[in-house]
Amino acid sequence: MFWRLIRGALFRQKGKMLMIAFTIALGASLATAMLNVMLDVGDKVNQELKTYGANIQVIPKEASLLGDLYGLGEDSGAAERYLRESELGSLKTIFWAFNIVDFAPYLNVRAQLLDESPDAAKTGGEEIRLVGAWFAKHLDLPTGESVDTGMRNMKSWWEVDGEWLTDADEDAAMAGSLLAERAGLAAGDRIRVGAQGGTRELTITGIFNAGSDEDERLYVPLKTAQAMAGRAGVVSSVEVSALTTPDNELSRRAAQNPKSLSTKEWETWYCTAYVSAICYQIEEALGDSVAKPIRQVAESEGAILEKTQLLMLLITILSLAGSALGISNLVTAGVMERSREIGLLKALGANNAPVSWLVLTEVLLTGAVGGAAGYFAGLGFAQIIGHTVFGSAISIKPMVIPLVGLLVLAVILAGSIPSIRLLLSLRPAEVLHGR
Amino acid sequence: MNLLEIKGISKIYGNVKALQNVDLEVKRGEWLAVMGPSGSGKTTMMNIIGCMDKPTEGAVILDGKDISKESARSLTATRREKIGLIFQQFHLIHYLTAVENIMVAQYYHSMPDEDEALRALDRVGLLERAKHLPSQLSGGEQQRVCIARALINYPMLILADEPTGNLDEANEGIVMDLFRQLHEEGSTIVVVTHDPEVAEEAQRTVVLEHGRVARIAYNVIAPPIIL
Ligand SMILES: Nc1ncnc2c1ncn2[C@@H]1O[C@H](COP(=O)(O)OP(=O)(O)OP(=O)(O)O)[C@@H](O)[C@H]1O
Ligand SMILES: [Mg+2]
Repeated sequence: MFWRLIRGALFRQKGKMLMIAFTIALGASLATAMLNVMLDVGDKVNQELKTYGANIQVIPKEASLLGDLYGLGEDSGAAERYLRESELGSLKTIFWAFNIVDFAPYLNVRAQLLDESPDAAKTGGEEIRLVGAWFAKHLDLPTGESVDTGMRNMKSWWEVDGEWLTDADEDAAMAGSLLAERAGLAAGDRIRVGAQGGTRELTITGIFNAGSDEDERLYVPLKTAQAMAGRAGVVSSVEVSALTTPDNELSRRAAQNPKSLSTKEWETWYCTAYVSAICYQIEEALGDSVAKPIRQVAESEGAILEKTQLLMLLITILSLAGSALGISNLVTAGVMERSREIGLLKALGANNAPVSWLVLTEVLLTGAVGGAAGYFAGLGFAQIIGHTVFGSAISIKPMVIPLVGLLVLAVILAGSIPSIRLLLSLRPAEVLHGR
Repeated sequence: MNLLEIKGISKIYGNVKALQNVDLEVKRGEWLAVMGPSGSGKTTMMNIIGCMDKPTEGAVILDGKDISKESARSLTATRREKIGLIFQQFHLIHYLTAVENIMVAQYYHSMPDEDEALRALDRVGLLERAKHLPSQLSGGEQQRVCIARALINYPMLILADEPTGNLDEANEGIVMDLFRQLHEEGSTIVVVTHDPEVAEEAQRTVVLEHGRVARIAYNVIAPPIIL
């Protein structure tokens, strides 16, 4: 009998029930999309921000001191200090190895762009900034694992006209757009470059546009730069792109002076992916080095991540509150329309509980259908968001299903409260005589 | 022995005195008609007797129990067990068939029993219309379904508020025949009506005016002219 009543009510109020299902579907789809994106967004936002570059720079300790004391830049040549290339692999063996997404070493060399004609070589050509680097270097780690790392990942936004350099092709170079314009270089050109360690003929594989002062530089594989500088196995700096936890009071204190922390605080700090903790561990791994966060990026990464998640949480809450309001209107209107029927059931001896159950079951059934439809629609939304905002698919988290289920249930119950209250206050004597 | 005793009940809505100090007794097996002009308090009294409302003052003793002080929940239980309600507008659930409408009353009373519901329909002469929806039935037929529903749980007291108000003469006759049968079988019936012909079928007629009992007439042999 109960089901006949339910079926009758559902069937008869098709329009209203469809509206309720649709309202719940809307809320559920947004919640599904937002929760899936939110759970996935940590990685997504970090990957997104990573494409905007490194957030930690490592330089030799003495170079850093001189820089601090005299305000001398890394290219001034005043600091002929280096890090050792052979130690770089240990970056991937520190505690936070998995948070280090990419890194690239650089070696700055002062060089001249020589004219094609042999006699011009003696007079010397234009001073240029030659930089050796890793592009997509394959490293085998002592742990048995291997990584591929270098500029190609870290500078993914560079526009390259031609081809990226490879680490193996030691007679190739890639020129910045400003340098290329000034010197009249194009992809495929052959140039002669002289430096302390000798002169090399290089083929330009590509012209890049970085949108920064890197456009003034000429990039070559690290090996080539080391040979031209006459210094094997050294690098002048390393850029690291790491996933970090947003800074808080503890991490700021630690960044100023790690020794000021208590043992407990120290452990907390050391075992959290604060940028200062990661810097500290990098310094431990690379001898005589100073690792510094490139502040703005590191901070905004954490902040944007938090804000994005907060925003999504807000959207989820608002959309669910919206659908609760929507269905509360619809269900209340439904109860009002059916006040005679409900009054009759009460007059026939139904207590409040069974009548409330009747209405609630109708809404729950409708909500279940709407919630299921909304869930699948939400998966679609999540993919759309993933592709338009993050340029990649959102991985679907199964834990969203029970979460959305609970939320839909809560929304239905909250949305049904006003109608249940109306239903409880409904007196058969009043509705049955049309008052 | 009286099935129902009303002792000095009043019902006051704001400044409207719908009932004022009404006394009334109904014997078991009696058929009582209630008449009176519109607004005289007939429906108000029926609601109080039918456990759908409480008097502002006074006592209502149904089957030896004072129901005027009962909670809403136990009033519902009393109504379920002891009262059969018949309405002027029938109040059938329009998406349920005739037999299902009767089974709803069984469901909230105890257990739906389709055979018994069909027997009740047979009794009001609608067995072959059991699977029809209310919209497929005439007004008179709908009222007969309503009567069958009121009877299904064997109530002690049948309350009918203008049961023939929406019916033509032919259907009124059919419904009155049913009431007569019920009365002969020993049911206690209270019928509110505007129609003297309906009232004169009853044993006794109570006339309300301005919420008070104006007069009581006994229709023993020849029905007295009322109005
Ligand atoms: N819930 C209520 N609130 C306010 N006034 C009410 C209420 N119910 C009834 N009344 C008033 O009480 C008086 C008696 O009403 P009642 O419905 O009992 O009259 P009635 O005799 O059944 O009339 P009718 O023959 O038109 O059905 C009327 O004046 C009515 O307006
Ligand atoms: Mg009335």
